[in-house]
Amino acid sequence: MSALIDQLAPESGLPDDSHAEVRRRAQARLMSQGFPDPKTEAWKYTSLRVLEKREFQGIGQQAVPRCALPFAADVLAFDNGQYNPDASTLPDGVRLEPLDAQSLETLDYAGREDAFAWLNLARFEQAWKLSIDAPLARPLVLAFATSDDFSGAVHPRLHIELAANASATLVEWQHGQGEGLVNLVEQIHLNPNARLHHLVQRQHGELAWVQRTDVSIERDADYRFHALDGGGRLVRQDLRLDLLQAGAHGEIDGVALLDSRQHVDYHTAINHQVGHTTSRESFRMMADGTGVGVFNGRIYIARGADDSHSDLNTGNLLLSDSARINTKPELEIYAEDVTASHGATIGQLEDSALFYLRTRGIPTQEAMALLKFGFAAEPLENIENDTLRDWLMVLLNEHLGSF
Amino acid sequence: MNDMLKISQLKVAIDDKEILKGLDLEVGPGELHAIMGPNGSGKSTLGYALAGRDGYDITGGSIEFDGQDLADMEPEERAAAGLFLAFQYPVEIPGVNNAYFLRSALNAQRKARGVEEIDGMTFLKSVRESLKQLKMDEALLKRAVNEGFSGGEKKRNEIVQMAVLQPKLAVLDETDSGLDIDALKLVAEGINRLRDGKRSFVVITHYQRLLDYLNPDHVHVLSGGRIVESGGEELARRLEAEGYGFLEESAA
Repeated sequence: MSALIDQLAPESGLPDDSHAEVRRRAQARLMSQGFPDPKTEAWKYTSLRVLEKREFQGIGQQAVPRCALPFAADVLAFDNGQYNPDASTLPDGVRLEPLDAQSLETLDYAGREDAFAWLNLARFEQAWKLSIDAPLARPLVLAFATSDDFSGAVHPRLHIELAANASATLVEWQHGQGEGLVNLVEQIHLNPNARLHHLVQRQHGELAWVQRTDVSIERDADYRFHALDGGGRLVRQDLRLDLLQAGAHGEIDGVALLDSRQHVDYHTAINHQVGHTTSRESFRMMADGTGVGVFNGRIYIARGADDSHSDLNTGNLLLSDSARINTKPELEIYAEDVTASHGATIGQLEDSALFYLRTRGIPTQEAMALLKFGFAAEPLENIENDTLRDWLMVLLNEHLGSF
Repeated sequence: MNDMLKISQLKVAIDDKEILKGLDLEVGPGELHAIMGPNGSGKSTLGYALAGRDGYDITGGSIEFDGQDLADMEPEERAAAGLFLAFQYPVEIPGVNNAYFLRSALNAQRKARGVEEIDGMTFLKSVRESLKQLKMDEALLKRAVNEGFSGGEKKRNEIVQMAVLQPKLAVLDETDSGLDIDALKLVAEGINRLRDGKRSFVVITHYQRLLDYLNPDHVHVLSGGRIVESGGEELARRLEAEGYGFLEESAA
């Protein structure tokens, strides 16, 4: 594993800037703990061998793809991990500023399983603070794209704060090309009564993409996450929701579609730190070819977090003999008067459903596509905004056409 | 006149176990035939064999539908040719919208027949009318196929599909079972509305009560994988009164 340290975190290469102290501390933790190995529980099914084999070089010269979206939006472009003001528009009520050093000094992560967060803290090129101070009229898009010749390792960091009573729809449009690594850390904070609808639409080629999204939610604030994940050579998404005060609500819905040469790993955690907090989660994975999916969904209800409610379900569909999905819901409850449920299913396309559709005249291929769509669309159906829901449904349909 | 359905000496096996053991049945255009019989006699096997389910191997005899040999036709080809099976247990299809499903089915059939696809308005009008006739909530159109439907709603939904798809031959497999009397009447009316002198029906049932509303042209008794008795409506009444016991006596 030292190969990865040499590749990604050579001791000599730390930027010497105003964050030098924070960087040195993070580098020291990374060096002493190392990267995850097969014995690291949270990385048991996701090997870093793909990264070890890569030689990370420059971020490339070619232009990055631009998003074309079927709805009016303000776009913040992050090209090869760097903010590009020329391709961005900031609406009223939104500020983007370099993150102050103080916010970084107190950051702490755990051990080896958090190696990429430490790596980001040691190596980030830019750290931004995105402040949303008022209800936004239209979606704000974070466009993360890399060029075809991208072969670098970049570590963008973005802290997002919604002021009390602010509301926003944040769309992450992620289209990565090239053979590099993007190691993104997002830290999102919702002040009381804020609302954030966070959508991720991801489609990476050979790119390795590691993302950690930590969300803290205060009193009566409401966070909803939706992902339509088309996968990549190696995708790891950690998503952690902390329900900090009474009335806080969090939801996670997502679907990941995997084909050969793709590996997607979602580790989600919803932590009910206090009572009177609610959450729900529904996640689906579908794997064809030699695709590998990993889903680990954890619900934690802390001691004293009485009267908390949560529901987690995960459905998984294997479309080929060589596809693999590892799925694990986890409940940890230390409180009273809670309701928490979880369920996991794993299966193949149902013969009886296929036959039923065919007896109505729908040809086999079309019937299979319909069943796959029905399976994959379910987590996206509760998107309240019709335009955004239709957008993802159309993309899903196009994606399944290529299966 | 040619038969709509001509089944000759049909033998069907599931996992090498022979269920239908030489079944003969001829259904003319416009006729409604009822098939009754005790549990395990092969009634549902007949329905699935007609629709072309995998695993229902035809080991002998033949099925001719509207002049075509069904043996080599896929289920979707049989549907496009005008065969419809109302399932005893309609299948739930999570995530697939009922209206979208039905329109896809209708258009797939039309495409296979070389007919232009139906436009959205005409389709919706037709499906709304059928829903209304069967006293079903229009909101069901936006729900997933059969998901969360009550038992009665699932059965009525089969009749809605039949009305929209307008088959030449409809095979109804115990569509009456589990229905209360009001739903039973609605289903019977749904069937009778489609009786136009050309369309044929094979109604598989356990009970006589549905037949009271349908006035079948012929009633057959299926037992041990064969038609053992055929007659008119009076046969259904006799079965209801006496049960299937007399079959065993006559067989013995």
